[in-house]
Amino acid sequence: MKKYLAVALGILTAIGGFVDIGDLVTNAVVGARFGLSLAWVVVVGVIGIVLYAYMAGKVVALSGRATFEIIRERLGARAALMNLGASFLMTLLTLTAEIGGIALTLQLLTGIVPLAWIVVATLAVWLVIWLVKFTWMENAAGLLGLTLIVFVVSFFVLGPDWGDTVDQITQQYPHPGEHPLTYWFYVVALFGAAMTPYEVFFFSSGAVEERWGRQDLMLARLNVGIGFPLGGLLSLGIAGSAFLVWSPEKVDVSSLSQVVLPVGEALGTIGLALVLIGVLAATMGAALETALSCGYTLAQYAGWPWGKWHRPAKAPQFHVTIIVCLLIACGVLATGVDPIMVTEFSVVFSAVALPLTYAPILVVANDPEYVGEETNGPVLNALALVYLVIIVVAAVAAIPLMVLTGLGS
Amino acid sequence: MTRLPPHPAKDGKVLDANVHLLDRLVVDRNDEPVSVVSDLELESEDGGRPRIANLVLGSAIVSRFLGGHPPKHHLDRMAWRKVAALDTVVHLRVDRSELDVIWFERWLRRHVIGRIPGGRRDPE
Repeated sequence: MKKYLAVALGILTAIGGFVDIGDLVTNAVVGARFGLSLAWVVVVGVIGIVLYAYMAGKVVALSGRATFEIIRERLGARAALMNLGASFLMTLLTLTAEIGGIALTLQLLTGIVPLAWIVVATLAVWLVIWLVKFTWMENAAGLLGLTLIVFVVSFFVLGPDWGDTVDQITQQYPHPGEHPLTYWFYVVALFGAAMTPYEVFFFSSGAVEERWGRQDLMLARLNVGIGFPLGGLLSLGIAGSAFLVWSPEKVDVSSLSQVVLPVGEALGTIGLALVLIGVLAATMGAALETALSCGYTLAQYAGWPWGKWHRPAKAPQFHVTIIVCLLIACGVLATGVDPIMVTEFSVVFSAVALPLTYAPILVVANDPEYVGEETNGPVLNALALVYLVIIVVAAVAAIPLMVLTGLGS
Repeated sequence: MTRLPPHPAKDGKVLDANVHLLDRLVVDRNDEPVSVVSDLELESEDGGRPRIANLVLGSAIVSRFLGGHPPKHHLDRMAWRKVAALDTVVHLRVDRSELDVIWFERWLRRHVIGRIPGGRRDPE
């Protein structure tokens, strides 16, 4: 059993990148409006995050250094501070959205207004970080989050027209009533979500928490090779089942209940119960991932002690950072803001955060001082360079697309 | 004070202060993080080659961003002779508990984190 749980870190990391509350809704919106014709973006995104998360994991296994430490070392204090500002705000906005997402899910389950659940959700996230061991946390959130596989099952049960599905994936036929820029807005949104920087912050810091060493290079490959493709599969399942249920009725998906309803239609009450457990675990997992990432990035920039392997008193700044972030998230949500909108705005920061996160990882993965003889091979470097270009283009295009399409409306 | 080998070194390692020292993590003798190298203080005897006298840690980074010279007694300095080794991090010979640079951490531990129930317990 332990052997299978060893990839929990990769799975939990991927949940934060592919099926957190913002992605759950975005995937369903994309499915309802574009069918599976954006499936290629998910594949491109999975490959990108697999490459860079593997490099970040390799650097941890061979040098023990987490990603934000190497960002400061390679970029210097100034550029690293810019990245810290952008990444931190992006992660904090996502944390806010996830806590709102937990509250929305609990509202769907109980019928009690979400405002009451916000406090419960914030406390629950803090208690897990304060008291629970890292491995327990990742196993529980990662495995329960996999319940979202019911979306994929629903897609098959709902019975798509296979010829049509293949056409959507391969032919990119025009979408009546959709502006071409809207299509590209969602391309960039899906790619940006797959490559959100907090994934590598969490993955590399989690690898330090688990004390990866030279013998764990294989474990790094397994984690990225299983975790991220699984995350991608879940997001395709969400888009696919949303397409089959909502597209014929021309419904514009905007709420969490519309995201989960296709599973209810395909699999009945049991399916609905499973999908709500999955959504709860995924939003909780993403909340833990982002809350911890806030602490990891700031502590690694400043050289403070960090990590859940310590008792909290041994890493006080790390824990104070997380507590303050949770309080801010709770306060923002108390104003009644829509948590799903919050994630959309975090895209603004990706123009700075994405290039300044992934470039140093690529540089250090080729530096013998850190990785000894295990520097990247030519194929990995060539692919990683291509992705660096894609990342820069997508990051720069994100803001104008967001403005021009009015957030894809 | 340890004499650094003259440059260019015949044996040993040539370090670039910008690449190998500035913004590197500083750890104590148990590999626990202490701070980050924010700046360096150089000295030279009788106009000779400059040598590193002190690492400047922690909050001195603010004056590197904004310019200016903070009063010396405000700086968290670490004598170069306390450096034991350099690899991807700067290893000190001392224990972090002897150092003043972590005063804020101590204050938070005593007044905030240590007071919350469970703060001094290992995670389970």
